[in-house]
Amino acid sequence: MQKIEAVIQPGKLDAVKEALIEAGIEGITIVEARGHGRQKGHTEFYRGREYSVDLLPKIKLETVVPDALVDKVVSAILTAAQTGSIGDGKIFITRVDEAIRIRNEDRGDPAL
Amino acid sequence: MISLRAMFAADGDAGVRMVRERSAAADALVQALWAEATVQDAALATGVTVMAVGGYGREELFPASDLDLLFVVDNAAKEKLAKDSIKRLSQQLWDSDVRVAATTRAIAECEKFDADNAEFTLSLLDLRYVAGDAALGSRLSDTALPKLIERERKPLLARLVKLTAERHSRYGHTLFHLEPNIKDCPGGLRDANTCGWLMRLHPGVAAGAEFAEAFAFLASVRCFLHVRAGRDVNALDWKTQDAAAAEGIGVDGGRARDAAQWMQMYFRHARVIARRFEQQTDALPRSRPLLRLPDALKRKGAQAESNGMRLVRGRMELDEATQFYDAAHDPETVLRAFAMAAETNARLSHDAEVRIEEGVPALSSQVEEGTALWHQLRPILLGPFAGAALRSMHAMGVLELLLPEFHGIDALVIRDAYHRYTVDEHTFVLIDTLHGLADVTTGPMAEWSRRFAAILRDLEHADLLYLAALLHDTGKGRSTGEHTHESARLAQSVLQRLEMDEYDSGLVLDLITNHLEMSAALRRDIFDAETVRGFAAKVQTPEALRMLTLFTFADIHAVHPDALTPWKAENLWRLYIATSNYLDRNIDDERFDSRVSSELVHRVTLLLPGENREVLQFMEGFPQRYLRTRSPEQIRTHYGMARKLSQDEVQLDFNWRADRSELTLVTPDRRMIFARMAGVLAAWGMNIITADAFSNTQGIIVDTFRFTDTFKTLEMNPGERERLVQSVHDAAAADTMIASRKRARRRDPLIKVDTSVEFDTASSTHSTLLQVVAQDLAGLLYAVSTTLGEARCNIEVAVIDTEGDTAIDVFYLTRDGDVLDPATLPQLQQKLVAAIADNAG
Repeated sequence: MQKIEAVIQPGKLDAVKEALIEAGIEGITIVEARGHGRQKGHTEFYRGREYSVDLLPKIKLETVVPDALVDKVVSAILTAAQTGSIGDGKIFITRVDEAIRIRNEDRGDPAL
Repeated sequence: MISLRAMFAADGDAGVRMVRERSAAADALVQALWAEATVQDAALATGVTVMAVGGYGREELFPASDLDLLFVVDNAAKEKLAKDSIKRLSQQLWDSDVRVAATTRAIAECEKFDADNAEFTLSLLDLRYVAGDAALGSRLSDTALPKLIERERKPLLARLVKLTAERHSRYGHTLFHLEPNIKDCPGGLRDANTCGWLMRLHPGVAAGAEFAEAFAFLASVRCFLHVRAGRDVNALDWKTQDAAAAEGIGVDGGRARDAAQWMQMYFRHARVIARRFEQQTDALPRSRPLLRLPDALKRKGAQAESNGMRLVRGRMELDEATQFYDAAHDPETVLRAFAMAAETNARLSHDAEVRIEEGVPALSSQVEEGTALWHQLRPILLGPFAGAALRSMHAMGVLELLLPEFHGIDALVIRDAYHRYTVDEHTFVLIDTLHGLADVTTGPMAEWSRRFAAILRDLEHADLLYLAALLHDTGKGRSTGEHTHESARLAQSVLQRLEMDEYDSGLVLDLITNHLEMSAALRRDIFDAETVRGFAAKVQTPEALRMLTLFTFADIHAVHPDALTPWKAENLWRLYIATSNYLDRNIDDERFDSRVSSELVHRVTLLLPGENREVLQFMEGFPQRYLRTRSPEQIRTHYGMARKLSQDEVQLDFNWRADRSELTLVTPDRRMIFARMAGVLAAWGMNIITADAFSNTQGIIVDTFRFTDTFKTLEMNPGERERLVQSVHDAAAADTMIASRKRARRRDPLIKVDTSVEFDTASSTHSTLLQVVAQDLAGLLYAVSTTLGEARCNIEVAVIDTEGDTAIDVFYLTRDGDVLDPATLPQLQQKLVAAIADNAG
């Protein structure tokens, strides 16, 4: 069982969500986030007043999936969120020891 | 199990009948058991009485409600004697599957009032004799209790009001929940009971048939909930709503309904109860004046007295009706009352509400439509308490009378996990959000509210924004098509009735049609130029953009209190800026091409039959911005002026208004013409708020200046208006620059603004873009445009704007028909900065 965290462009959320549902993922957590990687911020001029954009809006998705699904999920996110330009985001994968469903104490893959 | 359908199918009163029958059956059972007890112990025949309290006392015993019994005893000895019998009776009731809650009190205890346990005395308000010593029962309910009420009226009322307020606050003080608790929510059964208690404590006007109907409906629903769940469940969740609608609960004839329709019935009934409760609370005596009236209210009050209404203890009263005149039937007075409510938050008295509500049919025959109605509606929409005023108009049926289009969304439920309120309430919350923007000063949204509030302050057509907000979801009441288009269609008929001109209606209709576009754009990449361009093409003008931005902000917020996060607000702000910049920087590139036909061209040519070709020639080459920010009638006027250029090559159109005058110049383009205009207006002490300058392919320019008259010269001396026009004419016609100008007096600025002068060589392909941001001072535009003229710059397009103390001027410049040589820009920048400093100095 592994946790997949993906930081993506907000505009790609709908596409990624659809791709994940297609890949059989039902539960995802979505966090509205701000951040920057190498993309950095930029400065906007708004009617002469400088308006700096240091942190860019991002969406962070989190989902925990059985090992067998990891590749499928990663490729779904890549396909849906990739534009080839700076700022497309990143995917992080970590191993998860255990998952427990609070309602009925299911453990392991059935709890996902 | 008994068939629910059979139980409820009969009629709307099925619930009331059911609770009464259950109560009567319980009476019979309790009486029989107590008679049996008395047979076993004759001493119980006197000095002990069995009373019903709570719902049972009111003869409203719901299927899963407790049977509340109060055993009243004469004295302690009797209590001891009766103890075992009471215990046995309770057990027997339990064994018959009746949930009983029994208490025993000596009559002396019942007669005493304990401020810490006012709830006990309140519970006695529903007291009813069931069995036992009738004389003792009568002593309590007919003698002791009335005396107690008389003596402790005030603390009892205070306690009741406080308990109710606490309960309402648990439900956010609104009855428009998508999954309401039909007992405890505002407008629920508990409120209906409270109305009864209030009547007991402070008798007033009896409730009408509407109230009884509403109660009957809620009673049926509660019976249904109890029978369905088999326990005391009062929450009306979605599943239960579906089931209740399918069974036609509370509907005459028990016909099945669509769940949304059925919920509309629920909300209408709940609203009747909530209003009855409010009216009764309003009628309660107050120990001191409600509040010190703010000065504005006093002034308004004084003014109102001569107008068919007056303020009494902070409530608006309508004048007594006479044989010839009833203020409640006079649309002007009624709408003025709502306007006052919107401005000051003063509320109508109970009596005024009843008279207006009953007078709606008479009112409907008196209402005039057209611009007069719009003039009466405007102040209601613009008042800071517009939401409250509109809600009260809605509750009294006045809003639907004026805008029948609103009827379809009355208490309409939108079923998704996202919306919190019914559609009508959503609309009012949206309007509240806009008016409350400036009030959010703490918390994570403070910064964003401040920025959006600044946009609202500079909005030229705030009234139209509120009108569009009021109508934006009316199409949701129709099941056909996209609701945005349906709403626009309904709005069109409203706008026609209000006789609004084409330009204003266009703004309202476009806003309604596009009201989801900005939210849609937010779901795409807002940093992508294509997203911005596509969105800009939809909104077209800066004013429409400002209106849509504000609308979107408030619309998201009104869906759900947590729906608008700072993150979303920030993205909205970014899209606004990007689009605003796009609109300002692409004016020059988007010019009118007569080969491309459009709705606007069609409308303009319709106004000028037979001159199709000449009109198109005139319009050819103007930036789209010119055409989009003018009404067809204005374009016709400008065209007419251009036709007269052969007689006089300076054509002026002047519209004086106390708050903002407008002067338009049509003339062949030549050097420094814009600077001369700005100079004359500055010399007259006029403060230019916005201005723009456009030219067409024929080299004819249309320059429009909107300005305020800081020193009221033109208002005090109407004769001066003609002189102003004459001096503008002379300056525009003269070959030379006016030699000197007197310096106009100035007011001191509130905020210091730093000067910024920037060139943009990338946005336009054939002009150089200059943006000047500086302290807004009279003479600024003259100083800048003269400097540009002296540097041989031709102003292709100018867009002049003011936000508070900040002037924001954008110029599209060419020199000898081409972009400016980049090498000359630093020097021009220095000159401009120096000229601005000199003007300020």
